[in-house]
Parts: sequence; C-alpha cells; structure tokens
Amino acid sequence: MRLRVLLIVLLTFLLAAPAMAVDRLVLATTTSTANTGLLDVLLPAFTKHSGITVHYIPVGTGKALAIAKRCDADVVIVHAPALEERFVADGYGVDRQALMHNYFVLVGPPGNPAKVQQAGSVVDALKRIAQAKAPFLSRGDNSGTQVKELALWKAAGIKPDWPGYREAGRGMGPTLTMADELGAYTLSDIATYRKYLSTGRISLVILADNQDLLKNPYSVILVNPAKCPKVKYDQAKKFEKFLLSPQGQEIIADYKADGKKLFWPVHPPK
Amino acid sequence: MSQILFSLRGVVKRFEQREALNLERLDLEAGVITVVEGPNGAGKTTLLSLLALITPPDQGRLFFDGHELPRSGSQLTAWRRQITLVAQQAYLFDTSVEKNVAYGLRLRGLERVQREVRVGEALAQVGLTEFAPRPAKRLSGGEMQRVALARALVLRPRALLLDEPFANLDPASAQVFERVLGELPGQGCAVVLVSHALEQAHRLAQRVVYLRDGRLAPDAGPRPGA
Amino acid sequence: MDFFLGGLTRGLGLLINLDPEVYGIAWLSLRVSLSAVILAALAAVPLGLVIGQREFLGKRFLVVLFNTLLALPTVVVGLVVYGLLSYHGPLGGMGILYTPWAMVAAQAVLAFPLITALVIAAVITLDNRVGPTALTLGATPMQAAWAVLREARFAVLAALAAGFGRVITEVGAAIMVGGNIRHYTRTFTTAIALETSKGEFAQGMALGFFLLVVALAVNLASHQLQARWK
Repeated sequence: MRLRVLLIVLLTFLLAAPAMAVDRLVLATTTSTANTGLLDVLLPAFTKHSGITVHYIPVGTGKALAIAKRCDADVVIVHAPALEERFVADGYGVDRQALMHNYFVLVGPPGNPAKVQQAGSVVDALKRIAQAKAPFLSRGDNSGTQVKELALWKAAGIKPDWPGYREAGRGMGPTLTMADELGAYTLSDIATYRKYLSTGRISLVILADNQDLLKNPYSVILVNPAKCPKVKYDQAKKFEKFLLSPQGQEIIADYKADGKKLFWPVHPPK
Repeated sequence: MSQILFSLRGVVKRFEQREALNLERLDLEAGVITVVEGPNGAGKTTLLSLLALITPPDQGRLFFDGHELPRSGSQLTAWRRQITLVAQQAYLFDTSVEKNVAYGLRLRGLERVQREVRVGEALAQVGLTEFAPRPAKRLSGGEMQRVALARALVLRPRALLLDEPFANLDPASAQVFERVLGELPGQGCAVVLVSHALEQAHRLAQRVVYLRDGRLAPDAGPRPGA
Repeated sequence: MDFFLGGLTRGLGLLINLDPEVYGIAWLSLRVSLSAVILAALAAVPLGLVIGQREFLGKRFLVVLFNTLLALPTVVVGLVVYGLLSYHGPLGGMGILYTPWAMVAAQAVLAFPLITALVIAAVITLDNRVGPTALTLGATPMQAAWAVLREARFAVLAALAAGFGRVITEVGAAIMVGGNIRHYTRTFTTAIALETSKGEFAQGMALGFFLLVVALAVNLASHQLQARWK
C-alpha cells in the first residue's frame, strides 16, 4: 500500500515539478548553424529585444523543411536554395529572405592522390577526382551540404558513379572522420571542418575555398499561416525582421569561433 | 445440537466436460471434524477449493451459515474471510515466518500490536515461537506445514479446511497437527480434512464422508463412535 | 585515443564543478526517463501480471508479440510518436511535440513492451499457488495480485530497472520528438549525439560518464527499495 502511494507521489513530483510547456517559437534549422554556437548568441539577443523565446531544433536542411511542412515549426533557417524555392513554390513557406552566407570547402587527404591543384577552381578539382576515380565521400543525407555537392557535380558535368564514390548517410562530423580514415575527398562546411582540424582528429586539407560556386547561402523562411493555421506567424515575422535588422546583422558579422569569422551577413554593417 | 455451517445443494463442478464433483446434498456442521476420504481423483481437493470459495461451482447452490453465496463478486471476499485452507505442501511467502502468519491479519486491517499478540499465540500453538524472524523458505517440510497451520489458526476461522495435512509430516509435526486440530471443535470451528484413510485422521474424525468419482458414497454419515 | 582519459577527467570535472547546464541536462534526463518508466509500468505491470497468471486463448501469441516488440528500433518508435504528436497527427492538438512531455510519451512507449515481457517472464515462472494462497487467507483479487507481484519482486524491479536503462540510454526517439532543444529537451543522450557531431568527443565521453553515475544512483535507490519491500 505505502509503495503505491510513494509511486504516485513520485510521479506527480516528476511530472509537475517545473512547468514543462512554454510559450515559444519553434525554429527548425541546420546543424551547422547550431553547432557553431551562432544561435546561442543570436537567440538570447532576440529574446531580450522582444520577450519571445525561440527553441531551435538542430537537424539537416531536408529534415528542417520536412518538419516545417508538417506545421511542426514556425520558422526555418536553412541553406539549400533549390529545396527552399520548391518549399516556397509549394506554398509551405512565405517571406523567404537571404540572411547570410559562408563558404563550403572541398577537402581531401594530404597525399592528394587525384593531384588536385590547391586553391584552383572547384570544378577543375572535381574533374580531376573523377578522372582519377579517387575515393569521394558524400553526406548522403539530403542535407544542404549534399544538395550543394550534387549541384557542383552537375556544374562540372560529371555523374559521380565510380566505385570510390560513396554515401556516408551521416552528419558532417562523422563524414569528415570517415573521409579521413578512407583517404577520401569530401565537401564540408567550414565550421565543422575547422573544429575537427583543430582537435587533431583529421588531417584533411582544404583544396578549394572562397569562390562563388562554393558559396553557401542561408535563408530564413516563415511557415505559411494559410497552410498551418496554428503557426505563430506574427512572432516569427518579428524574428525575421530582427535577424535582418542592423542589430541582428551585426551579431552575425561579429560572430567568431576560434578567432575566425564564420558568417557574412547579407547587409554587412558599415 | 450442532449448527450447520456449509450446505451444498446439487453442486456440480466440471473440468473440460468431465464431472469432477456432483453433490446432491451435503451439510457440514460447526464444531465437528469431518474427514473426507476417497481414492485419488475422487474430487476431494476440488471439494475443498469449492468450500474455500476459490473455485466457483458450475451449477447448484452453496450456503454458508444459512446465507446463499454468490458465485463471485466483491461480497465473496467477506465470506471467504471466515474460511481458510491449509493446502498440501502449502505455499509460504518469501519473507519471515512471522510476516507469513501476520499476512491474513494485515488484510483484515488489524493494528500492529494486535497482530503481534495473535501471531505470537499462533506460533506458540504450533511450537514455533523461536522461528518467528526466520525466512520461511528455509524451513523443513514439517516446519513449513506448521507455519501454514499457524497462518490459518491466527485468523480464528469458522471453518478450517485441510488438504492431506498428515502427508509427509515428521512425527513431531504430525503430533502438533493432531493436538491443535483436536482442540478446534471445542471452539465451534468446523474442520474439514481430506485424507487417505490414515490413522491420525481416523482418530480425529467425528464424521467421515466418502467420495467416489465425484459423488458421495452411500455409507456417508455420522460415525456412531465419535 | 586521448579522449578516453580526457573524457573521464572532464566527466569528473562536470560532476564536481556543478556546471548548471550539465546539471539541467541530468535533471531533465532523470525526470523524463523516470516518468516514462512509471507511466509505462502502470500499464505494463498489471498487463504482464494478467498475461502471466491467467490461462486464455491467444496467450502464447501475446507472449511472442511482446518479445517481438522488444526488437522495435527506438528511431521507429520515435517516428511513430512523432507522427502521432505532429500538428497533422491525431494527437497534434495537444501541442506537446518538441517538449519534454513528448519525450516522456515516446520513452513510455519504448519501455512498455520491455517491462511487460519481463513481468510476464517473472510471473510465468513463479509458483502458481501464490494467488490462491493469498485468496484463502482473505485477500481480495487485487490484494492477491499484489501478493503475486511481491513474490516476484526481484524480477519485477529488475524489469523496471531494465526499462529505465532502455529509455535513459536511447537517443533516436528522444531526439526526434524532443528536438534536442538547449535548456529544454536536451537530455544526456541527445547532448552526447550533438557533442559527437560537433567533434567534441571528450565532452561526449564526459556526459556518458555522468550518465552512468546517474544510472548508478537510480539503481542503488531501487536496490534499497527492493531490500525494504518484503
């Protein structure tokens, strides 16, 4: 008998302790924005400015958009222009705005078996990799990074179908580790690459960087209230306005990880 | 004049079509030790579990103390609390001897002080006072049966049912059973014990009922000598 | 493999330094997983008891079914619960997706078949005289069921401990329905997954170490309970 009472008391205590539900905006976004720590600076500033709490769900771009399509998020920050356009065209998203960009990097083993010219054009690099049938590791998870990678192959006019071309099916970090161990080339976002390099976990080197083809643009898109009546459109709109305001853009411009600038806002502060 | 406690009228119990028990009419009195005899498979254990209100009959009426009993339902527990059963090789709970004996009293909501007094008395009756704190599962077969007897006695039942109480008992434990059971009729308790025709059972018996193939044998009746 | 030692020392550091974020994570993990196990047990223990004790048509099928459900991947459970709680799902109106409640629900679903299967196993192997003995001593059917449970207490508590172990260590369902929101739905496992994806292996190891310490505390507490439950 006493045991049963104890259990009930315990349960109510556990469940009721703090108020678990809060009023918040749900932001579905990519792991790259979350893992760099940018959101942990940006979101508190917005909360201070507006009194609105934002909860971000760090997932890949494809999944972030899928969540938003199901009306489970109010706003997304993603980086896959092709997917974004379809998302808006299909009526799921509204008010799509460019927010910031950075660059993808093409990285490969220090031995460089495909003889890729360092700091050359990325298209040239991919052609050499294909010619040498060198190992290449793709994310294979429909992330913004993979979408970009596929677009690059298309730009180079190559169909990546040799046996050395493989899909990891994992996030950026594990993909980099795998590429390192397989002696493979891969495409990475700069932040994750730098993090892994600085901890000595990988020895991959940058082969192509900072060129227009490698530009990685991030957009903010609001979920269409016509499709999702319960979405917090007004609050989400405030959030978007804040991100694009001088204050928001300055935070993005000033954000540094390990002393290096990671993002370039669309409206750079003067 | 002894009072009738159990009355069975046209009671039938079947197990998978086979008729395990079919009793036209059977009355059991308070203050009397009734021994149920019969060969294996005669329905003795079924009769006990029916009287203990564990197994409901498929047919017929069962009266206890002049009241007709329901087949099931919450009121049955109240009736069941006036009856108890000591099974052959009784199951003891995995705890101490005293907690085993106190179990039924706790169910009845007795307070701790009262429980301790009555448990002490019951254990003394079966000669196991020293055994109170021991783990029940570590006792010998005879000691376990005595704990089971104490666990039943402590409830001061109006009817005590026993299944083969003398089977596999050491002589000392058998003596305890004989002595304790012999005292019960004087307290108005109806004792029903199932047994193969054993010496001890016959010494105690005030009435013998014969079962054969689930039916009462014609020679059932009061024993003139008792 | 420097991160083994680094993780261990960092884990100790986290414990000692009372890092509020890490303690928040620990507290949330504990709260969510314990709630899930208790909720699951409220349904699984009586069900396991009935299936284990009673004889009925289809009993074998149910036993096989529950044993099969143990093989359910956590990600699939996460997907199903996500589907239910999503705005377009049948329970979307509750609005608990990406809250700790959603994680409690998913983990309870995960723990339910495991606890049920283990309780069935515990009760099936138990002496079948327990229930009748309790009844002859004056127990109500409920009290008799409780007596059965008490006789199987070691196995039943082991079932609850196994359920707890399954849910506090799972990551697939928690990350899918909880969303891994910082300070809100970030548990040990989702934090470890995140740290690992960031390349912070030592931090991941440290959190793993901390999780073990919390699990140890819970198991010690349940062991105490077991010793006192007689």
